[in-house]
Amino acid sequence: MREEKILIVGLNHDTAPVEVRERVAFDRTVLTESLRRLRSLPSVEEGVILSTCNRVEVVAASADEEAAFREIRNFLAEQESVKGQRGLEGHLYEYSGDPAVRHLFRVAASLDSMVVGEPQILGQLKEYYVAAHEAGTIGAILHRLFHRSFSVAKRVRTETAIGSGAVSVGSVAVDLAKQIFDPLDDKSVMLIGAGETGGLVARQLQRAGVSSLMVTNRTFERAVELADQFRGTPLRFEDFHRYLKIADLVVGCTSSPEALLQRETVEKVLKERKHKPMFFIDLGDPRNFDPRINELGDVYLYNIDDLKGIAQQNLQERSNEAQKAEEIVDEEVAGFLRWLDSLDQVPTIVALRQKMEEIRRGELEKSLSTSLKGLSEKERQALEDMTSAMVSKILHAPITRLKKQSEEQDEAFYIDALKKLFDLEEK
Amino acid sequence: MLAVFWRALHVGPYVTSLGGIVMDVTLLKITAVFYLLATGSFVIYLVLLRDLFPRLSPLLLLGGFLAHTAALGVHFFQSGGYPAVTQFREALSLYSWLMVAVYLLVQLKYRVTVLGCFVAPLAFLMTLGAFASGAGIGELPAGLKTYWLPVHVTLAFLGNAVFALAFAVSLMYLLQEYQVKNKKTTVLQKRFPSLERLDRLNYIFLVWGFPLMTLGIISGSILARVQWGNYWSWDPRQITSAITWLLYGGLLQGRAAAGWRGRKAALLTIVGFAVVLGYFLWGGSVFPSRHRGTFE
Repeated sequence: MREEKILIVGLNHDTAPVEVRERVAFDRTVLTESLRRLRSLPSVEEGVILSTCNRVEVVAASADEEAAFREIRNFLAEQESVKGQRGLEGHLYEYSGDPAVRHLFRVAASLDSMVVGEPQILGQLKEYYVAAHEAGTIGAILHRLFHRSFSVAKRVRTETAIGSGAVSVGSVAVDLAKQIFDPLDDKSVMLIGAGETGGLVARQLQRAGVSSLMVTNRTFERAVELADQFRGTPLRFEDFHRYLKIADLVVGCTSSPEALLQRETVEKVLKERKHKPMFFIDLGDPRNFDPRINELGDVYLYNIDDLKGIAQQNLQERSNEAQKAEEIVDEEVAGFLRWLDSLDQVPTIVALRQKMEEIRRGELEKSLSTSLKGLSEKERQALEDMTSAMVSKILHAPITRLKKQSEEQDEAFYIDALKKLFDLEEK
Repeated sequence: MLAVFWRALHVGPYVTSLGGIVMDVTLLKITAVFYLLATGSFVIYLVLLRDLFPRLSPLLLLGGFLAHTAALGVHFFQSGGYPAVTQFREALSLYSWLMVAVYLLVQLKYRVTVLGCFVAPLAFLMTLGAFASGAGIGELPAGLKTYWLPVHVTLAFLGNAVFALAFAVSLMYLLQEYQVKNKKTTVLQKRFPSLERLDRLNYIFLVWGFPLMTLGIISGSILARVQWGNYWSWDPRQITSAITWLLYGGLLQGRAAAGWRGRKAALLTIVGFAVVLGYFLWGGSVFPSRHRGTFE
């Protein structure tokens, strides 16, 4: 077995509250410096820092597991103490070897995310990998580990439906809007009320392409404020009915005790619109819109419970898919560990010698039984000696180099290259 | 179904005895295989939410189309240069070929891959039907050997092919609308275009299909004059065509003037197509028509 091991020390949304995560988080602007500091730890041979709002992790390769764990723990503690407080105990997890590989693969595949299947983590992982690569703190092992983790993530994404289905109220609303309207960018939204969820949904709709937004609120000042925030148009509350006919999506998020819109009103509006479809999203408590609105043709009404129900259902589907994804991860971990084991230098050298010897013997025998058939025993012996000497001289430099390299960090790189160049992968 | 397909592929001895048509039957077999593969690929696309290769399904259909074109070409020359539609199988073959052609054009312009999930299996079944109902080249009555025949057949079939697609998007519209309205989520939803898009496609197909159908009817009545002596003779075939024409014309007018759309438009489209289809499949035996060829 080779000596270098893959280690991970970190904390995530499960093990640490947001205050702690924020304190440990690495500043993107001084990341290179932090990486170099990490690499300068005596036992750390390769290192990558991953720092998102849900996790802070150090991935390292080291020959001395115990010491490296200790150093990285201190490294993270220092990082935290810079910002004033202390106390990471109980928040950190540590993995080495097999479990560390599995952990990184799970992170990349978004199996360890707060919202399983969310797609951002892979991009973030790539970013931090590139940063470490540019800072020169990455070697053959982590290089291969990260690349493997990217392809694991890709496999999971194509072979399972883990990322499909919206899982937040806002994204469910956007999905529904997309099932009704296409394109979204010529549609307009009317936001009624200043509720937080309403703002969230409006923002998501805007991000999805909706360009025009009207905002109304009982107090006009608040409507102006909100309109400013969303770059929309404020409407007086008394007037909003008049503008309904130009609204394709209507989001209600007030705590008004009585319904703001009755079926009859919408029916009239619909006639004025020549039955262009309307999508009502009722986020109010109690309900803002008369539920009978949904009985009208070309009108679709969803309330907050409907949206939450769909999100919940999608989440359930994701966790079913996660099961499949875990199996893929298992497979990939096994494959990676096989590669890692194969990086041991002794068997590589043996294999290289064997290969050369096979070639030498093969060619020699071929010649001796054909073109050099008439050689005497003595001549044969001379030929034997000569070819042997050639092979060992050719191999001398690379093997010495390799043995010397084992004290340096690039060993894995050379072994890997050697195996590829001479086609030494075991059959 | 597989058994039928298998049998269809093994009409060998029967076919070879007919000599000349071996070639186009072989090509038609290749066509059927392509359509079947395309069907599988589209189903995987629709239900498993997976693109085998992003554009494989339409390409398989294109492959089938090319083989089909060759088959029809061979058949065309063997039949003496007239579209051979005197037999059910010939008509099925020609119609499915036009439908696939229209789909491929639509796919090129509007990228509604999901429509292929309707077109591919239908094209496959029709090609299969062409095998199942025998082989051979039908004899064309002497009176029909006029240039109005290919014109009429092409226009009428093309119009109907476009309406078949309008029918498909209307069905999809109703399904999608039902799902959104009743807050049901199914796997289909993820692949279906938005309601607005389906509605727009319905309109586009109507706008293209209606003039084709109109011209088909006009050229048909000219043929009727040649064959039967009258432009209009209250033949059941003429009556069903007229009903559908009025329905689609009314719908087109309603869309433009009264803002009919969505569900109403989808339902009318379906009814209009059902009238045509219904007469093709069953009506002919109840109200026999003098309309020669095809669906008798």
